[in-house]
Amino acid sequence: MNLPLSEAVLLLLLSLAEQPRHGYAILQDVERISGGRVRLSTGTLYGALTRLLKEEWIERFEEEDVSRDRRAYRLTSKGRRNLQMEMERMRHLTKLAALRLARKDV
Amino acid sequence: MRNVYRSLLCLYPKDYRREYGAEMLSVILESQQSLADKSMAELLYFSARETAGLLCGAGREHLRLLLGSQGWVPIRRFDMRPEFRFPRSTVFLMTLVLAGVVLAIEKATNIELKYGGTLGTVWPALPMFFLFMLLTMSVLAASVWAFMFALRRTGMHRLANIQFRSGQR
Repeated sequence: MNLPLSEAVLLLLLSLAEQPRHGYAILQDVERISGGRVRLSTGTLYGALTRLLKEEWIERFEEEDVSRDRRAYRLTSKGRRNLQMEMERMRHLTKLAALRLARKDV
Repeated sequence: MRNVYRSLLCLYPKDYRREYGAEMLSVILESQQSLADKSMAELLYFSARETAGLLCGAGREHLRLLLGSQGWVPIRRFDMRPEFRFPRSTVFLMTLVLAGVVLAIEKATNIELKYGGTLGTVWPALPMFFLFMLLTMSVLAASVWAFMFALRRTGMHRLANIQFRSGQR
């Protein structure tokens, strides 16, 4: 997985960080948390999911009483750890940017 | 539209289709159902987005299959920097190509001097052949560029993010 993460992948991981979701629920949640700005197509979503599955950042599991077409995805501990690291990096950047911009304003 | 999406999913590699095909189709149909009360424009936009997504996705998966485990997509964004625009090997390759062209011209001049201008009689369709080759190469280059543009790998999209800081001058 290449770092820094793209916005689509980041939003996807944030969606799964809250709770396990299946494909359609992920699409809906990504659109909601991005304020309607990011609308993933199914092809893009499954491209990212495949890559994240391969890197073991997420895992797929079968829910009871649910058809095979609606398998859910959840974050693995590796995925959660990497997401936290990415968030830490972004937090550092934001802090640095705020400091630099404040200094420029003076 | 169900059959269109099903056909587009057939473009994916067989194993991928077997693993995710039904699930993807179910997600597309569910998304489409949620747009039942939306305008025709929104439906068209949705169809175009899904079609483009599936086409690009299929291409990406085939590339990944072809190139093995070399990561996600082999065509990565190349960040242009003002101090270094081309790999150093480009200079060497360009020199090599130039030397080849100069040598070919030299050789052709010698042949023409020795045998006279017989090329036109030997191969009268030569100009048409060159025109055909030029057109074929242009179409090929445009297709590759369109594919990379669809994958958002050309960097053209980032031009929209350029901010001119004329106010600081």
